[in-house]
Amino acid sequence: MSKRIGLLQRIQSSLSARISLWTVLFAALVFSAALLVLGVRSRRAVREEAYKTASQVLDNTVYRVNDILESVELVADNMEWLIYKNLDNPDAMLEISHNVVQGNSFLNGCSISFEPYFYPQKGRYFSAYSNNNGRYVYTIQEGEEDYQYFYLNWYMLPKLLLQPVWTEPYSDQEIADEGKMSLEMTVSYCKPLIGNDGNFIGVLSLDVSLKWFSDMISDVKPYKDSYAFLIGRGGSYLVHPDPDKLFYETLFTPALVGEAPPEQIQLGKDMLDWKEGMYQFKEKGKAASYVFFKPLMHTGWSIAIVCPVYSIFGGFNRLRNVMLLNILIGLLLQFLVLYKVISKLLRPLKHLAGHAETIASGNFEVTLSPMDRTDEIGVLNRSFRYMQSSLITYIDELTQSTAKRERIEGELQIARDIQMGMVPRVFPAFPERRDIDMYADMFPAKEVGGDLYDYFIQDEKLYFCIGDVSGKGVPASLFMAVARNLFRVVAGQGMTPEEVARQINDTISRDNQQMMFITLFIGLIDLRSGSFHFCNCGHNPPIVLSRSGAAPHFLDCHPNVPVGVAQGFVFQGQCLENFRDTPLLMYTDGLTEAEDADHQLLGEDRVMEALSATPYTNAANTVLLLLDTVHAHVKDAEQSDDLTLLCINTL
Amino acid sequence: MIDTVMHRVSAVFLSILLLSAIPLNGQKKRAATPFVFTPQWTAQAQFAGYYVAQEKGFYEEAGIVVVIEHPNSTRTALDRIRKNQSQATTLPVAQAMEVMDSGIPLVNILQTSMNSGLMLVSRRGKDPLQQRGATASCFRAGFSQLAICMAQEKQLDYNWIEAANMLNLFVAGAIDVALCMSYNEYYQLLQTGLIDLPSEGVVCRLSQEGYNIQEDGVYMTRDAFRKDSERALKFAAASRRGWEYAAEHPDEALEIVMRYVRKHHIATNPVLQRLMLQEILRLMENEDGVRSYTLEPEMVNRCSQLLLEARIIRNPHPIESFRP
Repeated sequence: MSKRIGLLQRIQSSLSARISLWTVLFAALVFSAALLVLGVRSRRAVREEAYKTASQVLDNTVYRVNDILESVELVADNMEWLIYKNLDNPDAMLEISHNVVQGNSFLNGCSISFEPYFYPQKGRYFSAYSNNNGRYVYTIQEGEEDYQYFYLNWYMLPKLLLQPVWTEPYSDQEIADEGKMSLEMTVSYCKPLIGNDGNFIGVLSLDVSLKWFSDMISDVKPYKDSYAFLIGRGGSYLVHPDPDKLFYETLFTPALVGEAPPEQIQLGKDMLDWKEGMYQFKEKGKAASYVFFKPLMHTGWSIAIVCPVYSIFGGFNRLRNVMLLNILIGLLLQFLVLYKVISKLLRPLKHLAGHAETIASGNFEVTLSPMDRTDEIGVLNRSFRYMQSSLITYIDELTQSTAKRERIEGELQIARDIQMGMVPRVFPAFPERRDIDMYADMFPAKEVGGDLYDYFIQDEKLYFCIGDVSGKGVPASLFMAVARNLFRVVAGQGMTPEEVARQINDTISRDNQQMMFITLFIGLIDLRSGSFHFCNCGHNPPIVLSRSGAAPHFLDCHPNVPVGVAQGFVFQGQCLENFRDTPLLMYTDGLTEAEDADHQLLGEDRVMEALSATPYTNAANTVLLLLDTVHAHVKDAEQSDDLTLLCINTL
Repeated sequence: MIDTVMHRVSAVFLSILLLSAIPLNGQKKRAATPFVFTPQWTAQAQFAGYYVAQEKGFYEEAGIVVVIEHPNSTRTALDRIRKNQSQATTLPVAQAMEVMDSGIPLVNILQTSMNSGLMLVSRRGKDPLQQRGATASCFRAGFSQLAICMAQEKQLDYNWIEAANMLNLFVAGAIDVALCMSYNEYYQLLQTGLIDLPSEGVVCRLSQEGYNIQEDGVYMTRDAFRKDSERALKFAAASRRGWEYAAEHPDEALEIVMRYVRKHHIATNPVLQRLMLQEILRLMENEDGVRSYTLEPEMVNRCSQLLLEARIIRNPHPIESFRP
């Protein structure tokens, strides 16, 4: 089993073997079809030839047998007048029968037998019988008490039928002790003798040895192992090579116990009906045979020749076997030659496969020799070599670009660190002051971002800002750095938020060729008085929280315009007194516009819901709460925008 | 050849019917001689029980030495009995009755047949009972009495032809109806292929027409039986045992029959003998399926009455006249 699987796998894994096998199989199919057609036609021709041969042999045999039969009938016809002429002289009958046997060597015997008391002077029996025992002819009157010939077939048949008749073979022995069957059989041609008054008066019987016919028929052997047989009118075998069948069996004997094929029964019926023809059938325990048959019209018998199929088709089968063997050897050679040739033609493919594996393992330096073939294999070789050179170039370029990208990524990481270092990230921001609760965090969407926040205390005033530069990435981060520095410088001069906004706006707008802008919310809380001064430059309004559980709300502020948009714009500031213990949450749009995987925004409503659901405790918790809200919404989606949160509460 | 044999058998056979039994020899000499049994015909399965009893040693076990000698053309079964060359033979009841009517008292020591195997077979594809005036063959050797009675009673007006062997006459178309034994000639006719099975349309079984009279039984002359009754009864009992064994072991019985057939060169074949044995065993069973080995008074009386009416016998022969 494993060997078979191994062979199968070998065939499947070898293109040469598969192509060779399919080619040979197709050739085998073509040969088989051709052989089949040839075989069918040849067999038909052989069968027809056999039929012709058998018919000729049968015709010849029938002719020879009929010749004897007709000779006997002729003798009867020629001597009949003598009987009638001497009808009144019974002793003349003895002489007539003697002369007939004496004069015709093919006759065994002759009897001229009469009805009981036909010759009153001779008594009840008178049968003039002459017999040729091989040495001499003797003549007797054989009718007697122990031999009442009236009841025998040869006498009764012509008497009952009133016409000449050939008897079935019977033993011509004087006495057949205990019914012993002798093979020395006789057939008789019996003619009824009719008196002047038209009444039946006796029988003329001429006897012939069956041996005449049996020798003739036994010699009929048109094919090896073929044989002939003769059946009588009752189907019994009169001549047959098997002595067990001879006179003991008929063609129908096996049918009595259901052991005869239907063809055999039909053959028997056709032979009894004096038909001529051919059957093929197989007797139990014997080889299949063709039987050709023809009747002997004189006697009602029928001759058949049995030819085993294997002997009729022996020559044909031998030729067929030789052809089959030749074709098999040819197909095998074809397979081997094809396999070798195809293997040789496909060998470069193996080399290509080896080179491909080497290249795939990283060795691009291996060289593939050029090929002067112009067929598909040659094309493949050239394509492969082109592919190899292209691959080498591509890999080089890829290596360079990867190195470049890695360098940029490294620089960006440094830029990120610098940017993150520009905003205060240590909390509590003012550990020495218990009146300021502040927390902030910033998450750029890329390595660096455009968000910013900052705060510082100067003269008991807490300056702070939060902003969002238009765009993202490196340009926004640079802009953010500029804005943050401007805020530090300008606010450090003790200006109001709207003045700070104006200064920054004018500075940025002056050389703003990139048309970048920044939204800013600038606040100033007087830690002594508790007043809150602010200017909103196009930024999202901050959310005012409450410790007491009141609903959060947006800080009502004048929008102004983003910084950098319009030089000389006059920003409008706002002031709220007594802002102590009023937590203020500032954010960039990275909060409300945080997108999940389906690009659904978090939205202001959900931000407000989250803030309403959780009472304010401190700035850090509020920022962390919102970060959790953002993470719950965004889940695994990529961050879409920079996010910055800044929460301040002064006491 | 069969013609010759049968003719001679029947010729001698009939002549012997007219002869009376010869006085038997002394008791001592008898005891020393074997018990010779001569079946009425040549070796065939019709006598399977006797061959089996011989071959299986049943006769020997019964303390008798039996020799089975078949009749031949010069010495028929009754001829052997007459000359004290044979002690027993087989006969159908009607035949035995005809012999007794001729003045030879017979004793039935064993009755094997319980049914008639006589049948008429027509050649023309018609019911034999519909063929009035047809040429019909009967057995040259006898056994035809009841068929003749039936033909008379049914006014068939057959032209009866005595034939030693009707087979070839039938085949040649010389006769229209053949009287057959269901176990012998009937199968020979089937073997000719001239009759297709099933053969109901061309066959008339006498047993189904009110002529079911027992056939084969073993008979001895009354004198012979009187002087050798002990051996006769032993022979009958052992023969019965042989038949029972044959019924239980038909294949083995057939082998034994074929040995006898081959030994005597009989023109037959195993197929015919197998069918004959089956039919003979079937005929041995009464309507209850029992092999009783006895004469049935009703059948004997009916046979006697039929033969008297047909004037085949002159005196009635009741069952008592057959009894030992």
